[in-house]
Amino acid sequence: MGIVNLVFGRVVDIVLLPFRGASPWFGLATVSLLTALLMLEVYKLTSNQAAIRRAKDRIKAHLLELRLFQDSMRVTLRAQAAILKANLSYLTANLKPLLVMIVPLFLILAQLGLWFDRAPLRPGEETLVKVGLEENADPVSIPMELETSSGLEIASPAVRIPDEHEVAWRLKATAAGPGRLTLRVGGLTLVKSVAVGGKSLTKVSPLASRGSLWKQALYPGERALPAGTPVRSIEILYPAKNLSIFGLRVHWLVAYLILSIAFGLAFKGVLKVEV
Amino acid sequence: MSEQKRASLSRREFMKAGIAASAALGLGGAARFTPKVYGRARSAKKMIILGMDGMDHGLMTGWLAEGRFPTFQKLLREGGDFRPLRTSLPPQSPVAWSNFITGMDPGGHAIFDFIHRDPKAYFPIFSAAETIGARKSVRVGKTVIPLSGGQVRNLRKGKAFWQILEEADVPATIFKIPSNYPPVPSRQRTLSGMNTPDLKGSYGIFNYYTNETTAVIQEAGGGGRVHDAYVVGNRVEAELPGPTNSFRTDAPETTVPFQVFLDPANAAAKVVIQGQEFILKEREWSGWKRVHFNLIPTQSISGICLFYLKEVRPKFKLYISPVHIDPARPALPISTPESYARELERRFGPFFTKGLPADTSALDNGVLDEEEFLELDDMVLEESMAMLEYELARFDEGLLFYYFSSTDQRQHMFWRFTDPTHPAYDGKLAARYGDVIAGIYGDMDKALEMALRKADKDTVVAVMSDHGFNAFRRGFNLNTWLLQAGYHRLAKPWKQEESSLFDNTDWSKSRAYGVGLNGLYINESGRERDGIVAAGPDKDNLVREIAQKLEALTDPKTGERAILKAFVAKDVYRGRNLEMAPDIVLGFNRGYRISWQSPLGGFPREVFEDNTQRWSGDHMSSPEVLPGILLANRKIAAETPALYDLTATALSVFGVEKPKEMIGENVLE
Repeated sequence: MGIVNLVFGRVVDIVLLPFRGASPWFGLATVSLLTALLMLEVYKLTSNQAAIRRAKDRIKAHLLELRLFQDSMRVTLRAQAAILKANLSYLTANLKPLLVMIVPLFLILAQLGLWFDRAPLRPGEETLVKVGLEENADPVSIPMELETSSGLEIASPAVRIPDEHEVAWRLKATAAGPGRLTLRVGGLTLVKSVAVGGKSLTKVSPLASRGSLWKQALYPGERALPAGTPVRSIEILYPAKNLSIFGLRVHWLVAYLILSIAFGLAFKGVLKVEV
Repeated sequence: MSEQKRASLSRREFMKAGIAASAALGLGGAARFTPKVYGRARSAKKMIILGMDGMDHGLMTGWLAEGRFPTFQKLLREGGDFRPLRTSLPPQSPVAWSNFITGMDPGGHAIFDFIHRDPKAYFPIFSAAETIGARKSVRVGKTVIPLSGGQVRNLRKGKAFWQILEEADVPATIFKIPSNYPPVPSRQRTLSGMNTPDLKGSYGIFNYYTNETTAVIQEAGGGGRVHDAYVVGNRVEAELPGPTNSFRTDAPETTVPFQVFLDPANAAAKVVIQGQEFILKEREWSGWKRVHFNLIPTQSISGICLFYLKEVRPKFKLYISPVHIDPARPALPISTPESYARELERRFGPFFTKGLPADTSALDNGVLDEEEFLELDDMVLEESMAMLEYELARFDEGLLFYYFSSTDQRQHMFWRFTDPTHPAYDGKLAARYGDVIAGIYGDMDKALEMALRKADKDTVVAVMSDHGFNAFRRGFNLNTWLLQAGYHRLAKPWKQEESSLFDNTDWSKSRAYGVGLNGLYINESGRERDGIVAAGPDKDNLVREIAQKLEALTDPKTGERAILKAFVAKDVYRGRNLEMAPDIVLGFNRGYRISWQSPLGGFPREVFEDNTQRWSGDHMSSPEVLPGILLANRKIAAETPALYDLTATALSVFGVEKPKEMIGENVLE
């Protein structure tokens, strides 16, 4: 999983490199455009274009039939059944490209989440660091030490919550720049990156985990935590990133999907893809 | 607070209840104002007015003579002037600021007291605002769907001076001026101040979560609600109460659940509320936390509050401030244009929106101590200074009025440390907090410095206060005195001390009663529901008789007169809006004030009592006892200018003619 994350991460990093100082919308629009073009090509290659065209033609034909013979109940019902059948054929023809696309799309989305979901801490801002422990680990009895690099400081004693298998600290960012937390547990050292300040488009990794493949895919920003400690995850509660248009706040995922669909529809004719 | 005191409502409690009722209705949909800032006609003339609530002329004169406050001194050295500013009758903030806002006295603007009364019900009513609920609504099961918006109405009569300036095309920014909730319609930038309720619609109800059994504060008894907190496995589950849900037929109180996780050894805890997580150390304040109270699936109300972890162990003590209206999404009207509050929120983040944000109730009830109260009020002050800087930075024309509340609030709560004869004086605490009042005057010196830095030769800078201050050592039970003097009769005399809101009064034999902080009313036939005193000579004679007796009344403990002057309202007020005016307005002597129980129809046993509360300074005296201050960077022609003169002066600076209803005159040379 680590290699896959590395590859996808590098690709997205390179694509977004020119837009780091600009409004996040430029980066998001570019990624949406590239994704739309890529998915159109994948769709073209993996789908049965003839079957899709045929299914759509049938739907159109039966819709026409519905309109022409709207006075005949028998014909109308038969046309509706035929539309339903053609729809199923259409969906079946879409299944294969969908299955092929879903994995890379998910990986792309996970990478985009690092850029667009959370904002880095501002100098002076405080947040929480949460260390998640194994179910059988007691946070009170495990000696744990958290250290910070320059530009960061721990602003509270640890709050250990046995019920939640969690230890939390308050973290304060004091200066801009990439920071690092070092957690020492039972002779082992775990490291977690911290983003403070930076350009308008900055990569932010909220969670480092040792968990399942799923968690590693969902939070691809950092290497998996090493085994041999009771620590399952180290999380930093970054503030949400604000993406707004005409004063209206929009979730980046919604913006990305709308832009991708718009670009897909705009370019399907150019690439001669039957969707 | 004794059981007896809790049995009746105090002035602050009444106001809480009054605003609660009004805001609960108003949440259904309040009046909306024009969304654009007023168009500008450029003028070289400018004016900055700093309103510092309660700054006392006597204190200021003394400290200036000692050479304190460098900027005030500099202002005077460089051609400025300093005068006592005649306050209103009575010198209560809503009345005084209304004098200034309208350029009239209460006879014109119709605000006579914090509290008026409904003569048909003999019931105290809130004087500043009223709320009208949705006229039409539909019930679907247990859900109420309003078909029209509710409305919150400012009861002050007369035009505000910024409305007059607006008509003359002079731009103005009016920042948190008291007696302007809801803000009167205007295209000028205005933000409401004193009287702006919290999200529950009250004057400010804090929540206190503790497992300490000695805490006895109740919601109706002092501005807060105590919740039993059960610490189970180092965890506390609790709920934060919000506004009532007017979309439900049974109008239940909305709540937001939250959890507090205590560290087993460290004096720190993690709080989780609506997905927000934060850690507090013992004796530490959180920043603003936003909470949403859900009404129906499509409707919620957003508020902001502060958490303070007072103690983790041995006892758990968590204070949550009153929930303020969220300026980013105001549930009630707090600014004109509407966007002004949002603009400030975008610049500063959430900010104090409740009228008087320092929680005097929490200090009065011992939930916060002096240090904690000052920490909270320091946040208020710091925010005020930052916003002043912001407004000054963009001020380049017209008028800027900017208000500070901390001067008033700190004098109310810390006066006892300046007065060894005060019943609540504590020598040990006085050594620590005896200089708090001088300190806040010093902070105002810094505010003036900021304003003067911005002022050019065309800018008139004025510093004003609405009234002065003095000690509140002894409380006067007006209704008890009326009872003993034979002007009032109880139906069940043996239940005298349990009486509240005149529920035990025999109106067929009562000739007078007291409501509010300075008001005395005659039970007049035709006006009051069960009036027995005929209007005309009968009433006039009774008014004179009572006034004379009150002025002759001495406190047996001190031998001093309690009331310097009993003003006959119809003789002292100008203007035609006298329907709600008391018949006699009490002007107390120094050290005296109305008691805690009398304003709302209570009848304690004694006529006089010591004030042992932390609320130890006040300003209900006869106006000549406690003038406010007026400083300006121009010469002041009048020897004793009045608040309403300052209104005429502000218009005069811009060459705007004052309306004929205004009674003041320009006082600058």
